[in-house]
Amino acid sequence: MKSEILYPGAFPMVRVYLNDGETVKAESGAMVAASPTIDIESKMEGGFLGALSRKMLSGEKFFFQTLRASRGAGEVLLAPTVPGEIVVMDLDGVNEYMVQKDGFLAGAEGVKIESKMQSFTRGLLGGEGFFILKISGTGQLILNSFGAVHKIELKPNEEYIVDNSHLVAWTATTTYNIEKASSGWIASLTSGEGLVCRFRGPGVVYIQSRNPGSFGAWIRQFIPVSE
Amino acid sequence: MNLTPNALCFGEGLPAAGAPCHVLLSADGLRVSPSYPSDFVEESVAFSALSVAAGGLDHDQLVLSWGAGTSARTLYLKDPALIVAFRRAAPPELTAHLERAAEQVRRARHSHRLWWGSAVGLVVALGLLLWLGSDVIVEWAVARIPIEWEQKLGEAVYQDFLSKETVLKEGPAVGAVEEMTQRMTAKILDNPYHFKVSVVQSPVVNAFALPGGYVVVFTGLIKKAESGEEVAGVLSHELNHVLQRHGMERMVKMLGLAAVVSIVVGDQQGLIGLARQLGLELATLKFGRAQETEADVTGIKLLSDARIAPDGMIRFFERLSDNDKGRVELLSTHPMSAARAERLKAELAALPKRSPEPFSFEWVKVQESLAGAEPKK
Repeated sequence: MKSEILYPGAFPMVRVYLNDGETVKAESGAMVAASPTIDIESKMEGGFLGALSRKMLSGEKFFFQTLRASRGAGEVLLAPTVPGEIVVMDLDGVNEYMVQKDGFLAGAEGVKIESKMQSFTRGLLGGEGFFILKISGTGQLILNSFGAVHKIELKPNEEYIVDNSHLVAWTATTTYNIEKASSGWIASLTSGEGLVCRFRGPGVVYIQSRNPGSFGAWIRQFIPVSE
Repeated sequence: MNLTPNALCFGEGLPAAGAPCHVLLSADGLRVSPSYPSDFVEESVAFSALSVAAGGLDHDQLVLSWGAGTSARTLYLKDPALIVAFRRAAPPELTAHLERAAEQVRRARHSHRLWWGSAVGLVVALGLLLWLGSDVIVEWAVARIPIEWEQKLGEAVYQDFLSKETVLKEGPAVGAVEEMTQRMTAKILDNPYHFKVSVVQSPVVNAFALPGGYVVVFTGLIKKAESGEEVAGVLSHELNHVLQRHGMERMVKMLGLAAVVSIVVGDQQGLIGLARQLGLELATLKFGRAQETEADVTGIKLLSDARIAPDGMIRFFERLSDNDKGRVELLSTHPMSAARAERLKAELAALPKRSPEPFSFEWVKVQESLAGAEPKK
């Protein structure tokens, strides 16, 4: 499987090339177009219980679609629902990524997706809920963001503070704690940041330049209220 | 060299996400090789040069560090088999470090379990409190829900239900049900509801009430009942579910539990969805045994006030008791029909004696009017 990002920026698509017999699993509804050699199957990734726990616990889709080059090599065009960038990374069997629930777009056949329970405080205060996706295995992993993706590289013991609503993915070698944005609770709340995540390296943290929750709140004021 | 990676190596000149590498243990240390062609040079590290800690998101990785400045390297091992092999191969001077790392992992896991145990305990306790001991809180909350709100909710569900059913608009059965409703509702003091009762074509021998005063009587009940008084008894029971706001109480109870669950899974939007979903399930809402008994007792009083022979209701339960064989009372939300009939007899005996006034319709004709209509399956 090879991939190429088309129209980089706010409204990108990803072109995935599949050899004969290869598959790519994608978020349900992500396919835009495909070669006639590609068959689309709906699959409960990780079996029924795995799919159920993903749906119930992390809010992810119950089914993934599996696109298989059954009748010869071909290509698939995939796009996320929200405007924002796409990032492609290679998994080699040892690195693992924690991904917030709307960040997964697609992955090669060898990519493993599980629901992961966070620690209690991270789950309660982190803004991602108690369950996030743990993605491991081998092959290409394609993530999407709301807005542009920014990569933060952390050396061992290096720290960085991220507003939790802007998180997309982070490596399992990083650690993070939830803390108040300012020293006092009132200052934290009035600053508009509330709680933030203090990440500590080594590893990589991918963040998105826009906050979906704030965007939703902003757009809500323009939606007419029906009686 | 192309070896299967079993660790990630960090340091100057290596990728920020870690360079996949292969770690091989030897008697005096470890050999770290790049898994893919890269600038990363193969390195041998003696055990004595290593410092050891636990790391990673869940403190489940063994972190080995050596060197200083630009040649400082940090290795993350995740594979449990490799970690065990390292512990076995490590010399005694590293034992204290390994013990400290293991203690860190144990503490992290213990704290994880403690928090989750407390959280689950709290949820279960809250759930039990809401489910078993919350009647006072629920009644207090329901008393603060405006009747208009209750009517809006009930009407939406009612219209949704009727749109999928065959509703009888006229005829002797509709007339009979209207007469029963009118006679009973006229006797309700300070009635805040505008009761709306529909007759729906269905073989189901039942009737149900929605919050806000919306009631459905199935033709199956009219066909099976031996008299109009029996149907009036069931109708009176349903009207009293509305008057006692039993539907709203069940809703508040169910939403209370769902709210806790939604908060736990971090799904704030889902909470709103649950409220809507619950609205559609109101038609099949099961009332508790105490609510059923309350609706029975107030129902028989209403029948008596409306001068409708209350023994119709008792007779109906007696006939229903034939179907109770094999049911276990403790497992049922409805009190057993025979016991209900007995309880109602006692209640009736305590009520002032009133001579019943017959209905204006002939029950046989009402039933005959439904004979031609094929029940909807």
